[in-house]
Order: sequence, then structure tokens, then C-alpha cells
Amino acid sequence: MTDELNRYLDGEVAADSLAAATLADAEAWNRMVESFRTSAPRAEAPVWLEQKVMGEIEALPRRGMLASAVEWLLNPTRVRVSPLAATLVVAAFAVVLLLPQNTPEGARRASGVAPAAGGGVEQVVYVQFVLEAPGATSVSLAGDFSDWEASVTLADQNQDGLWTARVPIRPGIYGYMFLIDGTEWKTDPRADRYQDDGFGNRNAVLAVAASE
Amino acid sequence: MVSPVERTDAQVVRDVLAGDRDAYRLLVRRYGDVLYGHALRMAGSQDDAADLVQRALVQGFQKLRTCRDTDRVGAWLFRILANLCKDHIRSPRRSDISLSALEGLLRGRSDPASDAEGAEVRSRVWGALDALTPEQREAFVLKHVEGRSYEEIAAVMDLSVASLKMRVHRARQALRGLLEEYA
Repeated sequence: MTDELNRYLDGEVAADSLAAATLADAEAWNRMVESFRTSAPRAEAPVWLEQKVMGEIEALPRRGMLASAVEWLLNPTRVRVSPLAATLVVAAFAVVLLLPQNTPEGARRASGVAPAAGGGVEQVVYVQFVLEAPGATSVSLAGDFSDWEASVTLADQNQDGLWTARVPIRPGIYGYMFLIDGTEWKTDPRADRYQDDGFGNRNAVLAVAASE
Repeated sequence: MVSPVERTDAQVVRDVLAGDRDAYRLLVRRYGDVLYGHALRMAGSQDDAADLVQRALVQGFQKLRTCRDTDRVGAWLFRILANLCKDHIRSPRRSDISLSALEGLLRGRSDPASDAEGAEVRSRVWGALDALTPEQREAFVLKHVEGRSYEEIAAVMDLSVASLKMRVHRARQALRGLLEEYA
């Protein structure tokens, strides 16, 4: 395969600009590609497929009232607050934050999710995510903190199947899951808490406390 | 009032996420054939293709809230299926039926004479795809069999156009032995 032939097959150059030898190959390729196209299966999805899919979906557990309540708590909701109420809320938070806190470090460590260090104006906390996934070719992370975009990539630095990532996250409560090889969603088996996502799966729940 | 057939993909996704599970049926109907056709061209067996599409659609339902561009939920479902197809090809549990066994499904069966003449050629053509890696086969099928543009494939597969072209070029290189049939 010459570059010229590939460029022609990619639609980047016209046939009349090809050398004679390349043109013969190009015409043979066109016939072969046409053969692939005309002989490709054009079958429609079997009629029972829709019923099988919908049947499997109907069999998935429905979201209970508790799960709905948890989801309501975890998802942001826009509310209108008067300036006076906002001032009172800010004052109340200031009082709470100024109180001395003696929480031991171990209590803030979630199994599989370990806050490591914090700092900065926005009180970002670095959280270590760990997943054992031997045989995986890629592991990424999606959660409320990333708008459920699997944008955080974990690394298997020692090639031992232990995938890790250190992620800056603002204090709050978040649902999250791992995505293995871009297709398989995996709940963190070592999370402290879980929530039903209403679609037959459980999301791990991470609580990130503000750094001191 | 918007009737079910007029609902956009984004509206359907919103309804499903609001608890209307049956609305997902619209997405199954809209994209079932496209997904099944691709699965069949990749897997080579009707049973495997149906199983792959079923798994992709159920996974799509389970993770629907992670679909950010709900206007393009069809492309998102296609990506789930494409990954399942590649895993399937790599799987040792894959059905023994190869692409070359697709003869009964291939077009042009109306003329028995031409069928007999073309069956062997078609068998060799589609059987040759078994020699490609799953990624090469996917790229070649999408580009040359399904006739999609590089830009469209790259967007669906989350690849750069340059990486995609490289896969197609390698697939062509691997298939060059077939060229003698058409010279």
C-alpha cells in the first residue's frame, strides 16, 4: 500500500492525479470495497429483540423512596433565598467552621478512598481512588464531581492491577463509579456508603470533608 | 402536545430519567436496526449480534444519566455497542461462526446462478476480515462497508482522525492479499 493509494482511498486526491500503476491498484481496491459493500448483511433487528430488552429493563429494581430521597439530597437544586436569609445562613456556617474540631485522621479515611492533603482558597481536598482490576486495559472514574463524565483516568503504575488516581475534589457528598475498559461500570467494593441509582446499580458514595 | 413519535432523543432521555421506563422503547426502535447491523457485521452471527445489541441497550439504560449529549444518545449507544463488539471478538467464548458464514444473510440471493458464482468470493472477502484485529476490523467496516466519514467515526469512537486513518491503513495493508481477486 503506497501513501498515494491510501490518500486516494481516503478521498484526499482524485483518480486523474494518480500514476498509471497506482491507478490500476486503485481500481482494484474500488472493486473490492464495492464487493464488501454489496455483500454486507443488511438484516434488520429481530422483532423479539425490543421485547427482550424492555423485559430485562422492567425486571431491574425500581428506585425506592429512600433512594429517591438520597438522590434528591445529592443532586443540586436551584432555590431562591432572600438576602436576609442568605446572611443568616452564612453567619451560621461561620460559627460552625470556627468551632474547634478534633476529628482523628483515621475517621476521615474511607476504605478505598483516602483524603490525603488539602489547601487552597477553594478548599480542594485530594482524594486517592484505588481499584483492583487485574486484566483491565483502562480504568476511569465518573461521579457527581465530574458531572458523570468519565474524565478522570486511573493509572496502573506498578503493572500489578492496582489502579490509582489522586483527584482534587471540593468538600461535599458525591456518588461515583469506576469505568473499566470504557464499557464495564464497577461499583467501588470498598466504599463506606452506597446509593441505589434507580437503574439497577449501586453507586459508591464519597463524603469529602473540608480540610483544616 | 408532543406525541411520542415526535419526541426528540433528548426529550426521551429526560422522560426515562424521570421514571418513564417505557419511553426507552423509542430509543430501542430508533437505533435497534443500526446497532444490530453493525453488530452483525462485526460478530458474524445473528445470535451473537442480538445478544450484543441487547447488552448494549440494557447497559445504555442503566447508565443513561452519564450520557452528557442527550441529543446524540444514538451515537453514545453505538459506542457502547462498539466496545462490546471488540470485547466479543477478543473473547475465547466467541461463537465458532465466522464472518464467512454469513452467506445466507448476504444480499443478491435473488439470482441463484450469480449466488453460486459469488458465494465463494463473498465468503473469501468476509472471511478475510477475521485476520484483522478488532480495532482494524471496526475501522474498516465503519469506513468502507458502512460508508461513514472519518470525522463521523472519530467522533463516535472518541479517536483522533489521524489515529483512525492509521487503523484503516493497516487494515488495508492486511487485506491487500485479497486484491488479486479484483485486479
